[in-house]
Amino acid sequence: MYLARYLLILFLFLISRNLNAQINSSAPSLLNQKSVQLNVGTQGIGAEFAYGILPELSLRGGFNFIPFKANDVFKVSGFNSTSNLSADFYNVHELADYVPIKKATWFRLVGGFGYFFKAKGDLRIIPSDDYKYGDLVLTDDQIGYVDLNVNWKGIAPYLGVAFAHTFPQNRFNVNFDLGTYYLSKPKADITGTGLLEGNSSQTPQFQSNIKDYRSLPIVQVNFSYKL
Amino acid sequence: MFTIKKLQMGLIMLTLAACTKPTENIKIVVDTDVIKYTALINVTDGENGNPAPANATITLSGAAAQDIYELSGNKEIKLSSGIVTIGLRPTIAPTADQPINVNVEINAPGYNKEARQVIFKAENKQQVVNIQLTKIGSTTPPIVTPPPPVYNNVALTFTGRCPNRTDLEIRPSVYVYFKKSGSNAAFQYLGYMDKGKISTNLLEQNGTYEFQIVYGAETYRVTQKIDQTNYNLTIDMPAACNF
Repeated sequence: MYLARYLLILFLFLISRNLNAQINSSAPSLLNQKSVQLNVGTQGIGAEFAYGILPELSLRGGFNFIPFKANDVFKVSGFNSTSNLSADFYNVHELADYVPIKKATWFRLVGGFGYFFKAKGDLRIIPSDDYKYGDLVLTDDQIGYVDLNVNWKGIAPYLGVAFAHTFPQNRFNVNFDLGTYYLSKPKADITGTGLLEGNSSQTPQFQSNIKDYRSLPIVQVNFSYKL
Repeated sequence: MFTIKKLQMGLIMLTLAACTKPTENIKIVVDTDVIKYTALINVTDGENGNPAPANATITLSGAAAQDIYELSGNKEIKLSSGIVTIGLRPTIAPTADQPINVNVEINAPGYNKEARQVIFKAENKQQVVNIQLTKIGSTTPPIVTPPPPVYNNVALTFTGRCPNRTDLEIRPSVYVYFKKSGSNAAFQYLGYMDKGKISTNLLEQNGTYEFQIVYGAETYRVTQKIDQTNYNLTIDMPAACNF
């Protein structure tokens, strides 16, 4: 616990020093600069290659993926159940970083597109009690389960801001992204098995509930190495 | 700075756009077809076709009697409106070579005892067994109810409602009876509703009908005027809501 706390403090110190140094420095032209960076954040982990195409504009392309699994994060009221949640988001993206204020080159506007070749969330709800039907105790197969599936696969525009320079002034820096992908309209469905087979009738309601879930917020730390 | 503020606002708006809970207004739909091999026992007063008297009792005997349950899964078998649906425990099933038999005996004060053998066959998951009671000493032959007239097809979809569980919805698999609303005639057999759906040609356009189901020793009814070819009907089924 103490080790984790010390590591966190050291990490924050390094980041703040790095950011401070970059903020205080004069702005170099981005033109023809190159870097590679590894990142970690709300869209998982990934890597990017960045290249300056104008003095105040650079492009970066890369990929990110986040396979996520969790149990019992979702409860249905009045219905004792366990749940298995899995989310898979895999994207390739192309972003443009623009420095809008010459005196604040540490600040960038970021826009672009990602193609999510996999972007889905699956939730399986399984009754957890020994459910009785009258005097009959039902087996797991007889009861069945309910699957809720959502798929956002497709092209998604990205808009955000970034802090600290894209290209390290020395060899290495840490910079940050804050923004959101606007995902394609989700396709949602519910399927069931056993006694819960009829839950597919709830698909239109689920689709309606989920239709506005199109924002994928991005909070991301980039570890950049200048080439 | 103005650009940054505009961007921040944009990001907040995008995130807040997704504010409906994903499971809002979603119900858990539960089927009742746990018991696959069923037999509806319909006991009537042979003199007038009305349901058996309320104090009529049903007794099962035979080797398979221990494997017989009421449609709702209860071991206790009782008549309601002269009707009960019995069925085999879901872990057993008849085969082509070995049907499963059970003896049914009906007793009612003032009436002769009636007995039938109900045979569950592999190829016949649903069956209706009509038993007419005759009064002790009566020589009147049992009435013969003519078959109902035939009309165009009407599709009915029944949804079982749980008065105390708004998060639950029932998709009943049960035998349905019907009669014209306001009529003194006895309910007649309409058909077997599979997972809430039944299609029938026994309903007249512009007629108003009462539909009746018996489940868990309770009788449930709903009324509907027929002037279309498809209907969604909701019927209270509290006996099916103990899931």
